[in-house]
Amino acid sequence: MPDFNKVKVETEDGVAVVMLNHPEVMNAISVDMLEGLIAALDFIEDRSNGVRCVVLTGAGKGFCAGANLQGRNTQTSKSGGAGSVLESHYHPILRRMRRLHCPILTAINGAAAGAGMSLSLMGDLKLAGKSAYFLQAFRRIGLVPDAGSTWMLPRLVGTARAMELSLLGEKLPAEKALEWGLINRVYDDAELMNEAKKMAKELANGPTKALALIRGLYWDSPENTFEEQLDLEYRTQRIAGASADFKEGVTAFLEKRPAKFKGE
Amino acid sequence: MTFDRVRIEIEDGVAVLTLNDPDVMNAAGEPMLDDILSALDIIEDRANGARCLVITGAGTAFCSGANLKDRGSGKAKPVGFVLETHWHPLLRRLRRLHCPVVTAVNGAAAGGGMALALTGDIVIAARSAYFLQAFRRIGLVPDVGSTWLLPRGIGVARAMELSLLGEKLPAEKALAWGLINRVVDDGAALAEAMKVARELAAGPTKALALMRGLYWDSTENGFEDQLDLEYRTQRIAGASADFREGVAAFLEKRPARFSGD
Repeated sequence: MPDFNKVKVETEDGVAVVMLNHPEVMNAISVDMLEGLIAALDFIEDRSNGVRCVVLTGAGKGFCAGANLQGRNTQTSKSGGAGSVLESHYHPILRRMRRLHCPILTAINGAAAGAGMSLSLMGDLKLAGKSAYFLQAFRRIGLVPDAGSTWMLPRLVGTARAMELSLLGEKLPAEKALEWGLINRVYDDAELMNEAKKMAKELANGPTKALALIRGLYWDSPENTFEEQLDLEYRTQRIAGASADFKEGVTAFLEKRPAKFKGE
Repeated sequence: MTFDRVRIEIEDGVAVLTLNDPDVMNAAGEPMLDDILSALDIIEDRANGARCLVITGAGTAFCSGANLKDRGSGKAKPVGFVLETHWHPLLRRLRRLHCPVVTAVNGAAAGGGMALALTGDIVIAARSAYFLQAFRRIGLVPDVGSTWLLPRGIGVARAMELSLLGEKLPAEKALAWGLINRVVDDGAALAEAMKVARELAAGPTKALALMRGLYWDSTENGFEDQLDLEYRTQRIAGASADFREGVAAFLEKRPARFSGD
């Protein structure tokens, strides 16, 4: 299995588990790790590798502690100030995740702070361990939320709660995040990966072409007017309606048997 | 400093703006709105050192909305006129304020008063406080930004319900819906707001102001536009003295001392 810089990828039955892998620093994000993520995306997007669902998780106790401040001084001297790595690394990764050809689950196994919280929210479905928490850490060092935080948070939990999280910078425990509708499931820590893999396998066996189109519709929805979204639903349904999975789905329904979707 | 219908005090970097016409539940007619705008002049003047603004009401109510009794005096202006002359400039200035805003909703917040309560970045309500979309009771539509703020705060279904039915929304339910941030015992809203405000005023207020701006703008932007705005804003925050102090404090494992610069 491919092993990238500070990122590990394991594939099984159409599911790619992408693991942020620098547990000594709670998987704090370095340029090395971001390049590992880009290489992992290259692998996942290559259709010949047969990936139909992605699980993003962290190695060890944390999910991701956000930007690696320890490594900052050397990095910024090269790249010119806070924020430059957003344009060079984070934003391309976020765009590729948004446009990915298959669903993404995040299995949030521990702390998800700063940009690590942003990454955790990129899952179409977000599953967390009971001991996990979310932290808008930016204000602690005089920065503003980034890596898409200010777009995703108000849309997930409303403006009042988004403001509170970012302005006060207090920990949001997994259970409360679930109550707020920020995430979808909370499991016992020991069960999290099994449950995430089970759900991922279920999605990977689904009509993944349609599932990818669905996630795209929801990504685009908040940017569209009602009329535009009706138009987009129409155009997208034409694509889904021309898929082999649609033919199989209808046939299986009429024959009263489970459908065998291929993602085509 | 005391205006006719508004009090303003600044202490330890926290400015407290009190709507002060308790006999009419702090209904906001033109005289009060004039006073609020004058108070904002003081708050926006950096020389006065406000790093967080608290808005609250005197007496038992926060603000009961438009002052219907004020309308009769002199020549009646067309309904909605005061939106363009007073409310909208006020909302714009609150949106672009240089520091965070905390509202201490000590009692009823109705009509335009509900909208004003929701302009707080952090909204703290007393247990017996309630929110009321009173407009439909007199055959008007929600204004003062209500129809922009509400669906973004709690979703379209709940916004529609509040405005169409015009029923009271108690503080506890507003909290459960995610419309507001805290509920405290009656009489304690201002104290709790001051606690939060002091914490914010001692924080990296330049970054805090930038992030409230990011959230205000977020709902108007597509994902790509917002990423671009985050990038440009982070460059500004990253050039601040507070960022240097924040990183230094982190590496030295000590609490940061932010100056707001």
